[in-house]
Amino acid sequence: MLSKIMKPGLTRRTFLQSSAAAAAASSLPRLAHAQNNVIRIGFLAPLTGAVAAWGKPGLDGCQIWAERVNAAGGIQLSDGAYQVEFVAYDNEYDPAKARTGATKLIREDGVSFIMMLGGDTWPGVQPVADKTGMLFSTLLPSDLSPDTTTLIAPAEVHPIYNVTGVEWLAENRPELKTAVMCAQDDALGLPSVATYLAAFEAAGIEMQDEPLLFDPATTDFAPVVTRLMSSNPDIVCLDTCYSDYVHPICEQLFQQGYQGQIISCTADFYDQIIAKTSKEFMEGFLFQFPDFDDPALNSDQVNFEDPNGFFAEFNKRYPGQWGAVSWEYASVMDLWKAAAEKAGSAEPDAVIAAMKEGGTGKHAFGDARWWGTELFGIDNALVGDWPVVAIENGKATIKEFRSIPAWYDKHGDLLVKHMKAYDQMWDQR
Amino acid sequence: MRRLVIILLAACALLALPHGLSFSQQEILVFLTINILLVSSYRLLTLTGEWSLAHVVIMGVGAYASALYSKELGVWVPVSILLGGATAALLAVLLSFPLFRMKGFYFLIGSFAAGEIIRLLWKRFRDPFGGPKGIKGIEPMPDFSIGIYDFDFFEPVSYYYLSALVVAVCLWVLWRIERSPVGLTFHAVHWQDKLAEASGVNLRAYRTLAFAIASGFAGIGGGLMAHYVGTINPNSFDVDLMVYVLTWAIVGGTGTFYGPILGCVVLTVLNEIVLRELGFEQMRPLIYGLIMILSILFLPKGLESIVQHLTTRGRGKGVEEQRAAE
Repeated sequence: MLSKIMKPGLTRRTFLQSSAAAAAASSLPRLAHAQNNVIRIGFLAPLTGAVAAWGKPGLDGCQIWAERVNAAGGIQLSDGAYQVEFVAYDNEYDPAKARTGATKLIREDGVSFIMMLGGDTWPGVQPVADKTGMLFSTLLPSDLSPDTTTLIAPAEVHPIYNVTGVEWLAENRPELKTAVMCAQDDALGLPSVATYLAAFEAAGIEMQDEPLLFDPATTDFAPVVTRLMSSNPDIVCLDTCYSDYVHPICEQLFQQGYQGQIISCTADFYDQIIAKTSKEFMEGFLFQFPDFDDPALNSDQVNFEDPNGFFAEFNKRYPGQWGAVSWEYASVMDLWKAAAEKAGSAEPDAVIAAMKEGGTGKHAFGDARWWGTELFGIDNALVGDWPVVAIENGKATIKEFRSIPAWYDKHGDLLVKHMKAYDQMWDQR
Repeated sequence: MRRLVIILLAACALLALPHGLSFSQQEILVFLTINILLVSSYRLLTLTGEWSLAHVVIMGVGAYASALYSKELGVWVPVSILLGGATAALLAVLLSFPLFRMKGFYFLIGSFAAGEIIRLLWKRFRDPFGGPKGIKGIEPMPDFSIGIYDFDFFEPVSYYYLSALVVAVCLWVLWRIERSPVGLTFHAVHWQDKLAEASGVNLRAYRTLAFAIASGFAGIGGGLMAHYVGTINPNSFDVDLMVYVLTWAIVGGTGTFYGPILGCVVLTVLNEIVLRELGFEQMRPLIYGLIMILSILFLPKGLESIVQHLTTRGRGKGVEEQRAAE
């Protein structure tokens, strides 16, 4: 009997059926929630530790999103309206804890969809995703491969959008001819290095040195910055450094008298960087993540609903906490909600089919297409326009929206070349 | 006879344990079982008076070796786990040459440096270690059936049974070593090193032996973890986890065999189950730290001192009752 219950080679369907039965037996109060028309969404990201800045603000943003959606009547499926509720699990950016979290969210909490930061934690979760068929999202499309059929990257095509910043810089500051770059030597830093190298090459900007890769445990950035500045570059590129690195590197650049252009993927909590340096020093700092009170986000092309109101509410509740991911998980939920309503169901298979129907989707920054076969081996990344943001008079300001596919159509071979050089293609990872 | 009954009851309890837990608690139970081996093997090293900061990295050596043996050389997973342990022990012997030129605090710092060098090598050499992203898609333990039970090692219950069996055997070996003349010599190396040396004991050889045995068992623990999670990277074996191991050992106490195990079980249940269930998801590091400080302040001899206190009181009562009856 026991051996029949625990047959190896469990199918997805029997797995989900047995999980649902077990969940029903072990957690009747939770079942009662489902009967009260509540859809649960899993949030599996680091909420504590060094990478918490890319998890916690996202959860805060999701809570605001849920309140807004629930107040507007919830999610309309074929069998009625559902309220939405987020269930969070702190994976501490550890693959083993991410696996435990995914198991809990699917088999105990009965979630319909799980949002992740991805990166180091995805390989721990992938066997659970394969076995259960649960739909997951990641902010890091470098997790995608032909095997990850239930993983989507609908918000952020990191690091490909970084090309838009370099392209804008080359067009608007043609006098800048040389660059240097530093990055932490990890899964987040390396694909970004390859992308920036491709973007600089496409823009005709000369790299003065090989990218300086530092260990993620680095705390003293004085030698890093001294070496970067030794060749007197026009541009210092901070790649996709965590905010724990961006802040001290900027401080060091300021203290060592750098006066040139800085470009970075993120500038989370940039007001703190300004406080540590000066408004003049940070003037013109170029990055990729806008504040959502920017008037440019009110244009018709932007699909994120009421970005200014969302930003105001976020800052009212969590002052000084706005960061790169504050809106991203919420924007993933916009896409998921639209797909679930289109499918009339929250079932993962139905939602992903509805989401990818026609090969296009409504990305936060405009209509976009599902893309990625060449780089990721699967078209599960939603790519379109991305904003280029500069700090002007102490405030992040969108300079322009630029098309990532348009850049890729012209310079895709360069990106593939540099990705291959850093072993970042899907078949090399 | 009484001991046999106790062992049988404990075995039954351990067999039944996962069935009283939720799915996520079963997952935690698997990692807890592996961590019990990690912290118990660490205690063996501390018997000689040396505290290492490389033990978790050594566990990682076992994990990387086992993953590579199975993935690159096609070695059968159970054998690759044992080979992973052997590789970790062998590396410990090599490391002992520079490290045991030092003692005490200097050994502690030296072991930290050695561990960091190993981690940097994993990051630097993408082939074969996978660089910062580590190794993904590690071969899982092959499923099998024993007639009454089908072992599907994706399921935490099956993996718990496997790891519990492996860890139980390892703990028995560790316990036997501690109770043997070799174990007594480890104690002598710590507490009476001059006397031991004068009696002809080769201190360095015994320190090396303790380091190698402890590393071998930590390596087996690493192999068990790698083939369950399916991925490892250098950050999985960083100093943060080492701090946890030290905490388990210190809070549990290292005076008895069960002290560190007690520390590991109590603190893991507290951190991973109780605080999460109470909704303190993001405040866990703060509360965990506070409880640790309080336990060190009020239980300086560790949690094992509570057990010792209770058992001596029980024994004392028994003796008094016996005397009264006489």
